[in-house]
Amino acid sequence: MKKIIVNDLKYKYPLAQTLALKGLSFSVEAGEFIGIVGENLSGKSTLCQALVGLVPHFFKGAYGGSVVVSGIEVATSEIAELALKVGLVFQNPFTQVTGSKLTVYEEIAFGLENVGIDREEMKDQIDQALHLLDIYKFKDRNPFDLSGGQMQRMAIAGIIAMRPEILVLDEPTSQLDPQGAEEVFKAIQKLSKEGMTVIMVEHKMEKIAQYSDRVMLLHQGEIIDFDTPGKVFSRADLMGYGVNAPIFTQICKGLGAQNQTNALYPVTLDEAYAAVVKTGHE
Amino acid sequence: MKSLSLFVEKDTTIHRMNPISKIIYVFAAIVIPMLIGNHASALLVALLSFMLLLWAQVFRKVIPLMGFSILILFSIVVIQGMYKEGNHTPLFTLGSIVFYQEGIWFSAEICLQVLNMLEAFSLLVLTTKPPDLIESLVSKGLSPKFGYVLSSVLQIIPQMATTMETIIDAQRSRGMKMEGNLLTRIRAFFPLIGPVVMTSLISVKERTMALEVRCFTSKRKKTFLNVQQVTLQDKIFQGIMAICVAGSLLWRFVR
Amino acid sequence: MEKKSMWSFQISTSSLVLIPAAVGINYLGKLFAGVLKLPLWLDAIGTMLAAMLSGPIVGALCGIINNVIYGLTIDPISFIYALTNMGIGLAVGIMAHKGWLNHIGGVIACGCVAAVVSAVISTPINVAFWGGQTGNVWGDIVYAYFIAHASPVWVASFIDEAVVDIPDKIATVLIAYGIFKGLPRSLTVLYSNDNQIEKL
Repeated sequence: MKKIIVNDLKYKYPLAQTLALKGLSFSVEAGEFIGIVGENLSGKSTLCQALVGLVPHFFKGAYGGSVVVSGIEVATSEIAELALKVGLVFQNPFTQVTGSKLTVYEEIAFGLENVGIDREEMKDQIDQALHLLDIYKFKDRNPFDLSGGQMQRMAIAGIIAMRPEILVLDEPTSQLDPQGAEEVFKAIQKLSKEGMTVIMVEHKMEKIAQYSDRVMLLHQGEIIDFDTPGKVFSRADLMGYGVNAPIFTQICKGLGAQNQTNALYPVTLDEAYAAVVKTGHE
Repeated sequence: MKSLSLFVEKDTTIHRMNPISKIIYVFAAIVIPMLIGNHASALLVALLSFMLLLWAQVFRKVIPLMGFSILILFSIVVIQGMYKEGNHTPLFTLGSIVFYQEGIWFSAEICLQVLNMLEAFSLLVLTTKPPDLIESLVSKGLSPKFGYVLSSVLQIIPQMATTMETIIDAQRSRGMKMEGNLLTRIRAFFPLIGPVVMTSLISVKERTMALEVRCFTSKRKKTFLNVQQVTLQDKIFQGIMAICVAGSLLWRFVR
Repeated sequence: MEKKSMWSFQISTSSLVLIPAAVGINYLGKLFAGVLKLPLWLDAIGTMLAAMLSGPIVGALCGIINNVIYGLTIDPISFIYALTNMGIGLAVGIMAHKGWLNHIGGVIACGCVAAVVSAVISTPINVAFWGGQTGNVWGDIVYAYFIAHASPVWVASFIDEAVVDIPDKIATVLIAYGIFKGLPRSLTVLYSNDNQIEKL
């Protein structure tokens, strides 16, 4: 079942001279993990915003084409209704804290209160989200007293407590230290294993390669490639699009060590080890 | 991080009272003496507030709050005592300065009024957690969006205040002078307020987007995680207050 | 296409989230003025900036909420001056919307109007609560002078308040305007009421 169908999506921010998105078309199946890579201003954030309705309803501007998520047309739906189907987690953990609640538990209730979830159901959904993100032990702390990684996990919990079918994450670990980033990736992987459809924009290519079913390479608002990590990262022209391959891939490219199975370059540590060992034996 | 609050943690009946009841008390305490209009009523209400403050075990915390006003009240006594229109009965002299009875009497009235107001407000703010106060207003019909705005101010202000030290240090290390003549000091104001405004406006944009995807603008009927307690005690108290205010209104018109 | 009236009560999320930030800017403005020992309050920069960005209703709300929160959490006396700050936000918002702020003369005039509005609203409050004084040392000295020379209380009180307000509000408007002019369009466009979605 296709969770996301994008057809010729075009978008220009107000006051901008050029289109941020120049006619994207693609689809995503339920349960897929999609990584999005590209240099700055390639349209990654804009695409994320277009999946949840911030583009065009919040930013206004000029919009064309269509985006359908979980069967709902974004252009004709309100952000508040779309948010029940698709959630978006931003880069900055601090500015995702509402500021109006004194405990983590109440903070996660925020979205649920807004849509009128029954109190008993609310508590269930909050408890589940807290456990899934492994922050149950912080439930009585003030949200501002958490570390970056904990705060970002709280932000994710606040979104998934609303039980969306799709989770979009726009560089969720850019502002975190390595430990915080690791905590967040572990949580995202867990969600993906539970069946969540995940779209993640990231610069850490090793993680993208490790988790993604497919990788989308964006450049100046256009899709250059949308394929398995192996195919995308094996491309010789990656640098031209401002993207580095995962470190293992770069090494293997340098050594000429390809996978035995598919004549592509390795993208994970295990593949790289196998390929290099094989090359070493020849 | 401490959110803005004057709340004093204690477990008294007054603390447990519904915030709306306390708001009604503040209103009554200010309006009733104004309506009845003599020193005796003001004194009575002030005494009542004083006893309530003692009962709530928070009287000691009122003193720093009064500190703000002591200076003003003192200057009022001095200025009214010396210069009020209609001063003609000398009360006492300090050197060559004469203080008149009418002025002193008038300033006493003002002092009582301010004391009254301070005590009543203190009773409210020292025994009520601001988030509870805001929640009770929302449950009475205040738009939840405004409830959000009020609640978030309480935490965002201390957040912004913590950045103040950082900004001052950063600018100092860039060689910005913060002492000296007036012009130097005025010039120093801009590189201090500038970054504050820029970062807050960017935060506003990001926080707005984060709220939107948490269904902030949803048109559905909202529910609440926490329940507001309204006891029989509260209803009786609110009823008594209403009668007192109505009574004072009547008194005003009858006289 | 019509510009949404500046009196629209439909307040966007951006404007609502702007309010706490504006109160914070008010607070920090006052703090910095204190640290630098400037002879001005400078405690309304945020309110005026919000009014310039979002209009008179949001400006008025900033003013009210500013004093309600101060009253709840720092100094109960602030409660009663909520109306004054509301007036300032309202006045600056209206003048900004009417285009007064397009030239420096208009900006200074705006400061004067804000000062007068502040004085006009504060004076009855000052007379009712403090017998006409304002709590500001210089202003009260002026008040004493006028009272001693048999001026009516209202006049003395108004002049007391105005003497303090005029320099402070003009400075505040100039600062708020300077900041407003320097903001990137990407930020100010979020508060503009007349954006529509174009079809591509």
